[in-house]
Amino acid sequence: MRVELFNPFIIAAGEVLNTELGVKAKRGALHLDKSDYISQDITVLISLIGDIWGVVIISLQFDTAIAIVSHMLGEEVTEFSELAQSGIGELGNVISGRAATKLAEAGYDTDISVPTMMVGQGSRISTFDIDRLIVPLETEFGVVRLALALRESS
Amino acid sequence: MYKIMIVDDAQFMRVRLSKLLTGHGYEVVEAENGEQAVQTYRSIKPDAVLMDVTMPEKDGLEALAEIRGYDNQAKVVMLTALGQESMVLQAVQAGAKDYVVKPFDPDRVLRALQKALG
Repeated sequence: MRVELFNPFIIAAGEVLNTELGVKAKRGALHLDKSDYISQDITVLISLIGDIWGVVIISLQFDTAIAIVSHMLGEEVTEFSELAQSGIGELGNVISGRAATKLAEAGYDTDISVPTMMVGQGSRISTFDIDRLIVPLETEFGVVRLALALRESS
Repeated sequence: MYKIMIVDDAQFMRVRLSKLLTGHGYEVVEAENGEQAVQTYRSIKPDAVLMDVTMPEKDGLEALAEIRGYDNQAKVVMLTALGQESMVLQAVQAGAKDYVVKPFDPDRVLRALQKALG
């Protein structure tokens, strides 16, 4: 497993959370997951194609998302409303854009999709034979979990 | 009071920027895409525009060109995610006064706007 495939997303997500939340997100213990991904409350999916292909899954619980959006907006949001969905979608967009820059800097010619958001627990997503590197980013608002199923094109 | 048009397809960004600008004494109008931005510019003639690059219907670059075609003194600041540098360069060549990279620092947005307004 080559760390340079994963670092652009891990670093981008950390940087964006640090900037938006004003506190450093702490990286929890990494592990590999081979089983299907079971969706949490909120799942943001970003696809990659090119020199690196696969999918990046960003997941978080409703209360974490609401706390993050409230902080970003500077006022209390009480439910995962359309506005809150838009805020988490925007967070995904910014992470994705930043990761694209870092991948290009590392010499990878890769296209990254606009994020797609799934809301609701319990859906099963298979990344087939690509193991997922799970990276929990712990913040004072809760955990934002990255699952990276990435592979270099042969 | 300066009137600023915020153009972004993300509701969250419009609300967030609107809150920032009204809190600093600006009057705000909003548009959800490039097409709406061009129409709103013509009807309201804001003092400056804060506009996202990537939008449906008509993107920020097309809208910038049309707004500058209608008013070559239009003061437009582009909002962009990192990774869209080539688009930003095109925007500056097309007459954008400045650009701000997301996630944005509120002070950076205010400074860019003040500079654009002269």
